[in-house]
Amino acid sequence: MQVYSAPKAIKENSDFTFCPGCDHGIAIKIIAHLIDELNLKENTVAIASSGCSVFLYNFLDIDCLESPHGRACAVATGVKRAHKAQGNNKFVFTYQGDGDFASIGLAESMHSALRGENITAICINNTNYGMTGGQLGPTTAMGQVTTTSQNGRNKEYHGFPIRTAEQIALCEGTSFSARVALYDIKNIINAKNIIKKAFEYQNQGLGFSFVEILSSCPTNWKLSPKDSHEKIKNELTQIFPLGIFKDIKND
Amino acid sequence: MIRNFIISGSGGQGVLSIGTILANIFMLSNKYVSFCPCYGAEMRGGAVNCEINASDTEILSLQNKEVDIVVALNQTSFDKFISKVKKNGTIIVNSSLAKINKTRDDIKYIFAPMTQEATKLGNIKTTNSIALGIISKITDNFSMEKVKKAYEKILKDKTELIQKNLEAYLIGYNYLQERQ
Amino acid sequence: MSEKELLKGNIAIAKAALNCGCTCYFGYPITPQTEIGEYLSQKMQEKNLAYVCAESEIAAINMALGAASTGAKVMTSSSSCAVSLMQEAISYACSDELPIVVVNVMRAGPGQGYIFPSQGDYNQATIGGGNGDYHTIVLSPSNVQECIDLTYKAFHLAQKYRNPVILLADGLLGQMAEPAELTENPYPQIDNSSWRLDGANSRPSRNIHSLEPNQTKLNQHIINLYKKYELIEQNECDYEEYLCQDAQVIFVAFGSLSRHVKSVCNHYRKNGIKAGLFRPKSLYPFPYKKLNELSRKTPIFIDVEMNMGQMLKDIRLAILSNAKISFIGKPTGNWLREEEIINAADNIIKEYYASI
Repeated sequence: MQVYSAPKAIKENSDFTFCPGCDHGIAIKIIAHLIDELNLKENTVAIASSGCSVFLYNFLDIDCLESPHGRACAVATGVKRAHKAQGNNKFVFTYQGDGDFASIGLAESMHSALRGENITAICINNTNYGMTGGQLGPTTAMGQVTTTSQNGRNKEYHGFPIRTAEQIALCEGTSFSARVALYDIKNIINAKNIIKKAFEYQNQGLGFSFVEILSSCPTNWKLSPKDSHEKIKNELTQIFPLGIFKDIKND
Repeated sequence: MIRNFIISGSGGQGVLSIGTILANIFMLSNKYVSFCPCYGAEMRGGAVNCEINASDTEILSLQNKEVDIVVALNQTSFDKFISKVKKNGTIIVNSSLAKINKTRDDIKYIFAPMTQEATKLGNIKTTNSIALGIISKITDNFSMEKVKKAYEKILKDKTELIQKNLEAYLIGYNYLQERQ
Repeated sequence: MSEKELLKGNIAIAKAALNCGCTCYFGYPITPQTEIGEYLSQKMQEKNLAYVCAESEIAAINMALGAASTGAKVMTSSSSCAVSLMQEAISYACSDELPIVVVNVMRAGPGQGYIFPSQGDYNQATIGGGNGDYHTIVLSPSNVQECIDLTYKAFHLAQKYRNPVILLADGLLGQMAEPAELTENPYPQIDNSSWRLDGANSRPSRNIHSLEPNQTKLNQHIINLYKKYELIEQNECDYEEYLCQDAQVIFVAFGSLSRHVKSVCNHYRKNGIKAGLFRPKSLYPFPYKKLNELSRKTPIFIDVEMNMGQMLKDIRLAILSNAKISFIGKPTGNWLREEEIINAADNIIKEYYASI
């Protein structure tokens, strides 16, 4: 009896190139499973962005377009609308880091939400710029040490971090906004259900759906994978609480 | 034949519309024509002008130092564009809103109380059409059919408004004659 | 055949875009090109096409990038300082080989400058303000009819070569109106089924990206792009020659300013001096070969531009030391008038004949 098989939406023989203990792999696998489950593969265009998230197209066996840094939601808007103008309803989602979504691309992200653009954005929040070696980003926690905040983030020098899912929930065009984590099995299963809901909301044409994923970055946090997940569980969820901040069906 | 015009006034006086209608009349007469409006912030202060060039051959000069005919619908544009009239050219001034004053003796002046005449006609917004009538009289005697067609291109199916403007046009056209 | 209509340059561009099947427009207002977006906003909504009032020019060009990946005919328009904001995505689109038509109705710079017309973006357009080895095709209309004709051509070349094309107009041309005919689009539809992203349905999945961590592959990709640019340079040089064949002096000018220069040529011809005009209609590819050919017969070339001489370097590259090259220009404002050009050119011509 087969109890598990790799999702069909993952390319054959593709090995994840992420650091050991990084949650990108889990996040991409969840997305791949959902593409299978919702039968999206043949109708999807995914938008990869700059940073570690760009490698999405190396792993997913679907049509992918890379976006300039921060512009994934604008690029997704173009893809979605251009297909619509040709009479096609394509499934379009972005896969971005927190620097991409909430710093350099905040304008594009938030305006896509405000327009109620019928796309889904997945944002990996690992509280730093991972690919460049762990610098202070828009989500770096107060007190957190990074290569550009070596004494820890403080409000005088660096100001405050952004709680992205809460901010996006405030936009009228947002159909769904939630934050999940991947530090244990229960949370991974929950994350899958939440992302599924975000995907389904797009399929139902309800507007901008958004999921922020609290994600580990052992290399730049200088912690073991296990301690990284402990940190998310004990520290980060205090600053970035898990939950659904907007659900157009319940509000 | 090469003719060039500057039409000037303030926002709301229909400077650009009458410029467009004039350009359309030339187009309908199978002439080459160009219409260059002032644009953007230049207009926000209320002063509007446009330059129209018409010719039997391809229009090459888009921005002229001087033109044959200047229409000034208010005092500010009279002051500003008097120097743009070519020697032996003509300036047509709306004397309802500008003082009668001749500072140059190498050009022709036509003063007409256009705003007053338009108000008498019952629509102050036809001031610009009175100016167009004067232009027609002193230049090419445009055929009424083409003038009407040009108005229809701009005002589409607003037949009453077209009728009013044609009346104003004729007032302008006959203005000089009646005064002679 | 549709009859002639008095059209503004900006409206002519918008109408031509719609008429040749543009289904996507993304833009942000800036004088002196705003009428393009205003016109299309209404027309495209009526036809259920893709129109977004973007939050910035950065967003607009990136929406265009996304839309182009679907194989759609895509346009954005802007002016000078805001086209600066688009340079990153234009560089991406060149690497991604995505067809986008970018209209730049030039105003004065640098920086915010002002809304006066200018030709100050020759360098930005032809050299490119983005990073890396790339070229965009650049077309330059000189009258409203050409705004229509070259818009058709811009869409065609973008699709044919899978490359961004810049339609480089200026504020005067964008704002002015002339009789023009909205002719039929003369170019054929180009099949894009081999590369567009529309879901991996009954075919392997596709990726479009500029990132390439393998240096051999990255080098090869850029070399391939340059093979394409070579083809473009061979096939797509476009220019107008006016009385050049027997000319003693040839003026070189592009865009609507070239009309004043043509008038200058007429003036010289009337006065017994054989003057001609060479007008590149494609600024990239620049017609080096043709200009070089002309420089073997004509001793004086005068570049006339509404900028500080940005096209000079291309003229020098074409002419080398075959002829004397001079420049007449100013950065912005009212177009150089005929008498201004003639005054300056008289001196250049006199000096030349005094020196030989």
